[in-house]
Amino acid sequence: MSNLAALPIIIPLISGILLIFLHNRMTVVRILAKVLTLGNLAVVAYIAYYIYQNGTITLEAGGWQAPYGIVLVADMLSIILVLTTNLVAVAAVFYAPSSLSNKQEHFYFYTFYFLLITGVSGAFLTGDIFNLFVFYEVMLMASYALIVLGGGRIQLRESIKYVLINLFSSVLFVTTVAFLYSVVGTVNMAQLAERVGEVEQKGILTTIAILFFFVFAIKAALFPLYYWLPNSYVAPNPVVSALFGALLTKVGIYSILRVFTLIFIYDPNLQQFFIWIAGLTMLFGVIGALSTNNIKLVIAYNIIPAVGFMILGIGLFNQTAISGTVYYLVHDMIIKAALFLLVGAVAYLAGTTDLRKIKGFMHHYPVLGWLFLLATFVLAGIPPFSGFIGKLLLLQAGLASDRVIIVIIGLITSFLILLSLMRIFIQCFWGEKDNDAYTVDKQAARKFTLPVILLLFFSVVLGIGAEFFYPIAESIGKYLMNPEIYIDSVLKE
Amino acid sequence: MSRPNDLILRSTTSLIAFILFGFSIYLYFAGHNAPGGGFIAGLMVSSAIVLMYMAYGFEAVNKILPINYRYCTAIGLMIAVLTGVGSFFFGEPFLSHTFGYLYIPFFGNKELATAMLFDLGVYITVLGITMTIILSIADDR
Amino acid sequence: MTNIMDFTQNMVEVVSIICIIAISISLVLLLYRVIKGPSNPDRAVALDAIGVNIMALAGLLAVLLVTTYFNDVILLIGILLFIGTIAIAKFLEKGVIIDHDMD
Repeated sequence: MSNLAALPIIIPLISGILLIFLHNRMTVVRILAKVLTLGNLAVVAYIAYYIYQNGTITLEAGGWQAPYGIVLVADMLSIILVLTTNLVAVAAVFYAPSSLSNKQEHFYFYTFYFLLITGVSGAFLTGDIFNLFVFYEVMLMASYALIVLGGGRIQLRESIKYVLINLFSSVLFVTTVAFLYSVVGTVNMAQLAERVGEVEQKGILTTIAILFFFVFAIKAALFPLYYWLPNSYVAPNPVVSALFGALLTKVGIYSILRVFTLIFIYDPNLQQFFIWIAGLTMLFGVIGALSTNNIKLVIAYNIIPAVGFMILGIGLFNQTAISGTVYYLVHDMIIKAALFLLVGAVAYLAGTTDLRKIKGFMHHYPVLGWLFLLATFVLAGIPPFSGFIGKLLLLQAGLASDRVIIVIIGLITSFLILLSLMRIFIQCFWGEKDNDAYTVDKQAARKFTLPVILLLFFSVVLGIGAEFFYPIAESIGKYLMNPEIYIDSVLKE
Repeated sequence: MSRPNDLILRSTTSLIAFILFGFSIYLYFAGHNAPGGGFIAGLMVSSAIVLMYMAYGFEAVNKILPINYRYCTAIGLMIAVLTGVGSFFFGEPFLSHTFGYLYIPFFGNKELATAMLFDLGVYITVLGITMTIILSIADDR
Repeated sequence: MTNIMDFTQNMVEVVSIICIIAISISLVLLLYRVIKGPSNPDRAVALDAIGVNIMALAGLLAVLLVTTYFNDVILLIGILLFIGTIAIAKFLEKGVIIDHDMD
């Protein structure tokens, strides 16, 4: 049954390749892409259920034993993130035909979309740090293709920045892995975790840890390194933005979560450093969100404080905080995708992204309006919704370890996030009817709303069903705090 | 004004291109235990095709090699993935490979590995990707 | 007898190392020619010569390390060099590398 761990990688890969052959029959491609994505979601859901029942699955690729070969490790954390990824993917694939132009779809959109899913799922599932780099590359290659899709002027300008910064961080990543290998002599994460404790000179390991953090921080857009993110995530089509915003930064966070709860756990100074970075990330991100009138840019900036919250959990480093991070990670993937899709729909229907030029959307598209309000509440963490539970866990952990300043920063940030989104709601949806600015197209609006409703439904379920989901998050937190379980399940000693 | 003709280039190409095809096949089969393999063999075959394009131009080569290199990439990837998936049917982990010995006339008893099929996928993928890149850069209209 | 064997072995090693140093110097000089120019044909010829020198380097390394694995590599460098030189020459002569229609 160990082959189950490879299926979330193989199915999208094969689907992506298959769609190249059908390139000239766009209607077939659209239907097939939907069917394959749904099929993949079903398979991943089954795997998640299987792991929930039977525990971690490890796959030793090619039958090579664990420390020598490449392992894929599907534990509860990985599979939940893969499941969420596929949920976002389903929404994106249903949204894509109405948002993309025919020409854009024709440039192999669906192929690259599936390759992106392959890369993201692979990065979540791998148990080998060099293989993590490989899947990062798969994911980034697909994202380079997706970001220039269509080739508008702004897109080309932003994508060159995006490509350069990611190439730089990839070079740094592979160099760091080489460093680590020269010091510890392995790239298997479980064996790394064992051997790091035995290394005499901790100084060089701390250097490597900081290099890793730097690499992942570029991908995850942490405080000093987020400057490239908002503009380049706004440039492409809303579907692509939603995939990027929901998946790419979260892969960076997942890598930090994995590496710094499994391998580099001996240095408390590092955790102190994380907490400060988290505070600064939250504040600067939310200030960015308040500083602009471009509705897409507001959402893109809102990625950054969310990343700050998750890093805060890793910095606090106790069971409650890690559970909170996991909860927040899943919540944020869903809600960011939903918000990007919603704002993309608004921008498409209004024909502009300027906050001040859109008025009275509520009169024409009431469903869209109420959905946006709901998404705002979910993101800002109004009680029964999922954002609240993640934040509650994180702030509780913060208070428990007497870090009042960071808790206050967190609360202020939550409030400002609410403010930044309410600005959009009040400006665009509320207010007088403005019939001249845009033509009303209810048909198109309906197509846009369906995927968003799907995502928001799961988001609300995640919040209201916290009774059911919280124990899972808690067990993942417990699991991450005890790296021995992971090591045992991979090395089988 | 007399147009320069590429007599030497054309006549050497007809010879060298086939040497390159042969060399690429040699590299592909050498790849299991020695330097070589699908990747470099794919590069060789694509350099042979590029040489033909340089000597004879788009129209002529498109006529004799009517291949859509994008499909070529897809076919190669498909072969590579399916050889990995093939191990599922034998209950082995993903990407498992095996080998056996086979008697081939004239060559004697040779080792054949399923890893070679994976390499064939790499070969075709590299050929497809390289040709797609070169032709789309060279196509200036 | 063993004396002569040792001597030849030493000589081969020393000569290869001297050759490698000489080729390295000529590579630097050729690199200067590639960057400085003054005209594009100069650069093309210099690039071609760099390729020949790299082939020689690989051959000398094969002598030093006593291996036959480099033979394929030398052949490979030669082929890529040949195609590269043709492409540059054709570009300088005609302005295009792959013509649309030759006739």
